[in-house]
Amino acid sequence: MVLAAWLPLASADEVVGTLGAIGSDTLAGLMLRWGEQLTERHPGVRLQLQASGSASAPPALSAGTTRLGPMSRPMTSEEWRRFTERYGYPPTEIEIARDALVVVVHRHNPLASLSLATVDAIFSDTRRCGSSHDITHWRQLGIDRPVGRIELQGRNAASGTHDLFRRRALCDGYFRVRIDEHPGSAAVVEAVASSWSAMGYAGLNHLTPGIRALALRDDEGYEVAPQPAKVRSGAYPLARTLYLYINLPPGEALPTPERALVEQILSAEGQATVAELGFVTLPEATLIRQRRQLGLEDGG
Amino acid sequence: MKDALRAARYRQRLRQGVDRLATALITAGGIGVIVAVLGIGVFLAVEVVPLFWASDVADTVNIDALWLPQTYAGLDTAQFRWQPAAVAPDETPRYSMAPLAWGTLKAALWALVIAVPLALGAAIHSAMYMPRRLRSRLKPTLELMEALPGVVIGFIAGLVLAPWVERHLAGTFALVLVMIPGLFAAGIIRGRLPRPWRDRLTLGWAGLWLMPWLMLLGIAAIELAPWLEARWFDADLRGWLATRFGLDYASRNALIVGLAMGFAVMPSIYALAEDALSGVPSSLAEGAEALGATRWQAFWRVVLPAASPGLLSAVMIGAGRAVGETMIVLMASGNTALMSLSPLEGMRSLAASIAIELPEAAPGGTHYRLLLMAALLLFVFTFLVNTLAEVVRTRLRRRYHRLGGA
Repeated sequence: MVLAAWLPLASADEVVGTLGAIGSDTLAGLMLRWGEQLTERHPGVRLQLQASGSASAPPALSAGTTRLGPMSRPMTSEEWRRFTERYGYPPTEIEIARDALVVVVHRHNPLASLSLATVDAIFSDTRRCGSSHDITHWRQLGIDRPVGRIELQGRNAASGTHDLFRRRALCDGYFRVRIDEHPGSAAVVEAVASSWSAMGYAGLNHLTPGIRALALRDDEGYEVAPQPAKVRSGAYPLARTLYLYINLPPGEALPTPERALVEQILSAEGQATVAELGFVTLPEATLIRQRRQLGLEDGG
Repeated sequence: MKDALRAARYRQRLRQGVDRLATALITAGGIGVIVAVLGIGVFLAVEVVPLFWASDVADTVNIDALWLPQTYAGLDTAQFRWQPAAVAPDETPRYSMAPLAWGTLKAALWALVIAVPLALGAAIHSAMYMPRRLRSRLKPTLELMEALPGVVIGFIAGLVLAPWVERHLAGTFALVLVMIPGLFAAGIIRGRLPRPWRDRLTLGWAGLWLMPWLMLLGIAAIELAPWLEARWFDADLRGWLATRFGLDYASRNALIVGLAMGFAVMPSIYALAEDALSGVPSSLAEGAEALGATRWQAFWRVVLPAASPGLLSAVMIGAGRAVGETMIVLMASGNTALMSLSPLEGMRSLAASIAIELPEAAPGGTHYRLLLMAALLLFVFTFLVNTLAEVVRTRLRRRYHRLGGA
């Protein structure tokens, strides 16, 4: 329905070209959908995506292999420096969506919330977030059932989710040895959904009816559930922003195909796709600011 | 006349040429395969060896760090840790190869514990009792089992079997406890039956008429389990194991992996063992029976010792496959790099680590080279085991030949 409204416009302007993007696999689904929408609006435009992980975006941008780098984390200062050294100007950073890591349990598990220090005490054996003792069994959380050990489920070491959870939830500490490492978030979710005494972590977009995301308590003791509004405002402690980095010389306008993609991403339709795929949309103010910053006319 | 002779000679020369060409092609193919196999070994070695000369990683990569417990910063006791990814720049990754090698052997061991008795038992049964018609049907069925991709078996084990066993832990234990004595009981009962009954229940078709009996036992075990659990295990077998023996139950554990991988290696062990048993010259058993031995005695004292090297090599081939198997361990084990003996806890194998981590490891980096070292270890191990098994089999075949068999 929405697309039909765009059709007259699409025939009016001539946007052609192939866009190449290299980067995050978390964002792969989202980028593909945006690419499809773009092709429907401008039949001459194609988006080619190579989703090999966020870490692959900065080298590709610096080497000039691609002009678009979707990433599920901000560039590190090192990556930023390398790009600036190569081109003499910094990469253009666009926020495209919000996401969060959630700590999940089986849907029948009575546990309601955890403090961040407790999360660290459960998942790590370094306890850098300030807990005084390890937590390995459910009764240490004041729960009668399930009994026994907390069965930890997580991602393999190569994934960005694993990396981010270590940085943000374990205060750069190490995971316990006794944690099952699954090769995909869907497998983590499946493992938690099938075992009453399991606890795991995953991206917000992987939530299923079989599992429940725990609320996290901040330092003042307020419980914050991973609801879209809390994730959008950053009140949820494990929220993160997803980015698109563009190689754009200062003072120049975006080339038309790139411009069309960014327009699509920041449009109402593009942000509706964000919500549809289980991520969280950007605040309206951020959308307006970024549109203005990139010199896009307000259309959405 | 002369023309015919010339034509014949021409034809002969042509045939010789074709023969020579075929021989050359086959030889080239054989040499090609050998070169490729050695080439893989050399490639791995060349990639791995520089690690031990590089001075910048000497602290994290040396024989001690790889194979002995280390006291890492922030931990009280010396431990084995495989945590190859570092997030902070000042961190040192932890590269302990020991838990991976241990996990590989543990998974293979449990697979063999499950596969060897079943496969050898089936081979002995089919060689001794089974009617030829049934045996010729059984073999293709088992080959079909072998053709199942590891990823499918792993998927079923990890996503269907593991959660089911976790929910019915007591039932599963009861099942095992009831089945084994149940089979012996079936044998004893059959021996006591009146003659006409016994004749109808022939041993060759035991696989068929035991089915209802085993099903009955299985249902009884599952039905009785909650009662047993309530009576003897404080209504919670898992908690009982934890408090009584300190055994923690992980839902993806060595037993699940053993079961799945046992299923995968069983057909090849069966096929090789069956070959070894049926290859024993029948004159041996016939001679023993002619001298007054019963069929069982002839089998146990004559046929089995003659075939035993073949059975050994069948088990070794199975071990080689179990060590190299990737997807089943990857999907059913939880990939926890633990050094534990317990069959109720998970493990992480070398092959699974390579599959998970190699695509993301920076080529040429320490982590990458260590994963190639894991590959080299696997390569050397399977190469040795397979070669040894093949040598044993060749010698056995020669012995059969001497004894006048096929």
